[in-house]
Amino acid sequence: MKNEITLQTRRQFLRTTMLGSALSWTVPAFLADTFSALHANAADAATQIVTGKDATILVVLQMAGGNDGINTVVPYSSDDYHKARPRLGLTGDQVLKINGDIGFNAALAGFKDLYDAGQLSVIQGVGYPNPNRSHFRSTEIWQTASDADRIEKYGWLGRYFDNACAGSDPAVGVTIGNQLPEAFFARQPKGIVFNNPQNYRFLSGDHAKLGQPDMTEESYKKLNELEMSGNAPEENSGGSIASLPAGMPMQGGRAVDFITRTALDAQVSSDEVRAIAARVKNQAEYPASQLGNSLGLVSKLIGGGLPTRVYYVSQGGYDTHTNQLGTQQRLLKDLGDSLKAFVTDLRAQGNMQRVLVMTFSEFGRRVAENANGGTDHGAAAPMFVVGNTVKAGLLGRYPSLAAADLYQGDIRYNVDFRSIYAGVLEDWLKTPSAPILGRQFETLKVV
Amino acid sequence: MLKPLSPSRWDYTTAAHLLNRAGFGGTPAEINQLVALGPDQAVASLVDYENIPDPVANPDWAHPDPDRIKRYQAIRDATTPEARKQLQMEQNQFVQRSMVELRGWWLHRMAYGPRPFQEKMVLFWHGHFATSMEKVRDPYYMWRQNDLFRRQATGNWELLLLEAGKDPAMLVWLDQAQSRKNHPNENFAREVMELFSLGEGHYTEKDITEGARALTGWSLDRINQEYVYRPFIHDDGEKVFLGREGNLDGDDVIAQIVAQPQAARFITGKLWNYFAGQMPSEDLNEALAGVFRENNNNFKPLLEVMFRSEEFYDAEIIRNQVKSPVQWLIGSVRMLECQLPPPLLCMGMLRQLGQDLFNPPNVKGWDGGITWITTNTLLTRYNDAQSLVRGTPPNLTAADFAPKAGGQGGQKVAHLAQQLRMGGVQLDKIFTPTELANKDELVAALERRLLQAPLSGEQEQTLNEFLNAKPQLTHEDILTVIRLVMSTPEYQVA
Repeated sequence: MKNEITLQTRRQFLRTTMLGSALSWTVPAFLADTFSALHANAADAATQIVTGKDATILVVLQMAGGNDGINTVVPYSSDDYHKARPRLGLTGDQVLKINGDIGFNAALAGFKDLYDAGQLSVIQGVGYPNPNRSHFRSTEIWQTASDADRIEKYGWLGRYFDNACAGSDPAVGVTIGNQLPEAFFARQPKGIVFNNPQNYRFLSGDHAKLGQPDMTEESYKKLNELEMSGNAPEENSGGSIASLPAGMPMQGGRAVDFITRTALDAQVSSDEVRAIAARVKNQAEYPASQLGNSLGLVSKLIGGGLPTRVYYVSQGGYDTHTNQLGTQQRLLKDLGDSLKAFVTDLRAQGNMQRVLVMTFSEFGRRVAENANGGTDHGAAAPMFVVGNTVKAGLLGRYPSLAAADLYQGDIRYNVDFRSIYAGVLEDWLKTPSAPILGRQFETLKVV
Repeated sequence: MLKPLSPSRWDYTTAAHLLNRAGFGGTPAEINQLVALGPDQAVASLVDYENIPDPVANPDWAHPDPDRIKRYQAIRDATTPEARKQLQMEQNQFVQRSMVELRGWWLHRMAYGPRPFQEKMVLFWHGHFATSMEKVRDPYYMWRQNDLFRRQATGNWELLLLEAGKDPAMLVWLDQAQSRKNHPNENFAREVMELFSLGEGHYTEKDITEGARALTGWSLDRINQEYVYRPFIHDDGEKVFLGREGNLDGDDVIAQIVAQPQAARFITGKLWNYFAGQMPSEDLNEALAGVFRENNNNFKPLLEVMFRSEEFYDAEIIRNQVKSPVQWLIGSVRMLECQLPPPLLCMGMLRQLGQDLFNPPNVKGWDGGITWITTNTLLTRYNDAQSLVRGTPPNLTAADFAPKAGGQGGQKVAHLAQQLRMGGVQLDKIFTPTELANKDELVAALERRLLQAPLSGEQEQTLNEFLNAKPQLTHEDILTVIRLVMSTPEYQVA
C-alpha cells in the first residue's frame, strides 16, 4: 500500500497538489461512480482527457419560441412571399442584401458583418421529417435529436458527455440560465447551471472578521461532503436500479448521494466561476439584454480558462403569433449585436479560433401571415453557425414558398438538423456521431 | 401485495413519512399525534378530510365576470393606439396581480389549511393536467380549474376526467374550444389519452382522429365563461373509438377510456410515483390497479390502501424522494413554524427553484425527482433557507418577476418585492429552554424536527464543532445552525 495514496474525501482529492493546478478540476468518473478510494496512478489517466482549456468549444444558442426564418433570411424578391405576407413582407430596401434573391432582416446588422467577414454560415431549410408544431414536443426533438415519433430520454449533448467525456469535469457543460436544458440530460448527469456569478454561491451571512475563517461556510462545505467511510452505496441501493425516480434515472444509490455530488460540483464550480467573472474583463460592448449578458459571461469563462466544452445560452420571445414585425426586429437586433460582440471579444482574447456558435429554434413559422399581424407555428427554418473556420455563406437550399411545394402550409426542409449535429460532433468536437445520434446521419460539413 | 403495515412498525419515522408524503410535513407535535393514532387512524385522519371543516374563502374575483368581455371590447374599440395601450396595460396588471394573489391563496392553504392531504392531491392534479396560465390568460379560469381539482381530488376517475375536460381552462389549453365538425382539433383527444389517462402505445392514431370527431360539441361560452355543449358543431356520424362503435360523443370517449384496463394501471402508477417517489414494479402496479378497479375507479379507497401498505413504508421509499420546490417551501414553513413569505416573494423563490405554480413548463408538467436539483437550484435552496430562518429577503432578480418566467420586464415588480418583509424563525416557539441551552440537545432537536432522522456521525461532528467554537451561543448562532441543517443534501429529501 506504500505507493498508493488513499484519499478520504473527494474534496481532499481536489485540493491535493500532486496533480497540479491544471488538473484541480478533473475528477475521474470512477470516483463519481463508485465512491471508492482514489489511487494516485489512476489519477494520471485523467491527464489524458481533453478539456475546454485546450480543445474546441461549442456554444449552443437556443432561440426559444419558434423563430420565423422567412423574415430572418428574407426572399425579398419572391412573388409567393409577398402574396402570402401582404403586411409582414419585407421589400428590398428593408433587408441587408446577400444576393439578388435573399437578404437578412435589417435588424441583423451584426450577422451581415459576420457574414461579410466569412464567419457566418447560413444553413437554409433545416428541419426534420414529420415536423411537430408543438413547442414542447418540437423543442424536445431538437434537444434529444430523436425522430419525431420516438421519445428519447437523454439529450444529444448529454449523450456526447456520456460517450466522449467520461472522467471530465462537472463543468464540462455550462448552462447560463435557471434550468438544465433537456439537451444536457445524461446517464451520468453532468453540467452546471447558473444565472449570475454573483448569486452563484453559498451566502454565508457570516460577518467573519478579516483573516478569520468563515465558520458557517466551512461547516456547510463539510456537511456536504461525500463520505468514503461507511454509507457505501451498496448498502443503500440494494440492487434496486429498477426503481428509479421519475425524470433522469440515477445509477443506483439514493437521492441523497446524487444531491451530495451536485453540492460538491456547485461548491467547486461556484468558487471558480466567481473568480473568473471578477478577473476577466469583456473586451466588447454587449447589448444590455439577457442574451448579451449570457454571452458576455460565457466569453469571460472562456477567457478565464474554464474547462467547459459546451456552453448553452438561450434567448426567448420568438413565438410571434401577433405583431411580429416589431418584436422580431427587437429580438434579431439583440441576437446579431450580441453575437457580433461575442466574436469581437473572443478575438481580442485570442480564443475565437477555438469557439463555434450554433443556433437552433424549435420550428420556423407558416408561410402565410395570420390575421393578427403575426405567423403561426411552422416547420423548416435556417440555422446559423458562427466561427473562424465555418463553411461561410449559404448552405442548403432556400425552400420554395410556392403553394404547390408546401407541406401542410409550411416550407419543406432539405437539411435534417441531425446532419448538422453530426458535422459539429465529428468535425468540431472530434467524436464519432453515430453512437451519440443513434445512427449515422449524412454529415453536413459546417467547418 | 399491499398488506397493511404491521402496527409494530408504527413509530416517529413511519408517521413522519406519512405526513411528509400525504401532506407537506409537520412539527414533532403533529407527528407524535399521528403516532398516537396508530397507522389506520393516522391514514384516515389525513385521507378522510371531508369531515374537517374548511372555512377558507375564495379570492373575491373567483367567479364569472360579466364585465370582462366589455373590457376586452373596450380595448378593441379604443380610438387611439395610446388609449388601447393604456387599457391593455390595465388588463395585464389586473391579470398579473390576480395571479400573484392566486398563488398566495393556494400556498396559504397548503401551509395552514386543515386538509393538507387534499392540497397535496390538488398539487398532483395540477401537475398531471399541466395547464399553463401563459396560454389560458385568465385568472378566474385558472382558479376554477384549481377549485375543480380540490372538489374532485379523491373522487371518481371518470367524473374527474369529464369535469377536467369540460373545464374552461382545459378547453382553452388544449384547443377543444376551437374544435368543430369538419375541422376537429386533435389536441385534447391526443393528450387526454397520451398524457392524462392511458400513455403512449395504448391507442392508435385512428383513435385520436375518431376521438376528436366524437369530442366536437364540447365548447366554451366565452361570455358566460363556462362550458357549453354546441350540438350544431358536433360531428354526429358513426365513429369507432378504442373498439367501441356508434355515434359517440365526448362523454362516451371518456367512458371508453376509463373502461380500458390500462387506464387503471396508468393513473395508479402515477399516483404511486408521486407519493412513494418512484414508479411501482409491474406487479405492484397491477395490484394497485386491481384495488382501483374493484372500487369502481374511486381514488379514496385506493389511496387508503396505498398509505397503509407495507410497500409504502419500505426502506427504499422512506427519505428517498427529492422535495419539490413547493414541498420544500411549505414543509420548511411548517417545520420552522414561521410565516409563509408574502405571495410575491414565494412566487419569485419558487420560480428560481423551478416550479412556478399555474405555469408548468410544458404539457407533461414537472418531471420531478432529481431533476429538481441542479447546481443552481441547490445553492438557491441553501440560500433561501437563510431567508426563511433569518427573515431576510431572498436573492431575487427582475427576471424572476417577469410576466413570463425568465422573460423581459419585471423590474417594477422586483422593486416592489424589495419592500416586502419576511417573518423569520422564533426560537422560543420551536425549542425548549433546555434545548437552547444544551448543544447536544439542540442538534438532536433539529434532527427530529427538520429531518426526522439522524445526520451522519461526521455531519453531527461538524455541527458540534461549529457550536463549540462559540464561547456563548447567541440567537444568531442558533439561527445559523438551523440554516446549516437545511443546507444539507439530507434536508432536500423527505
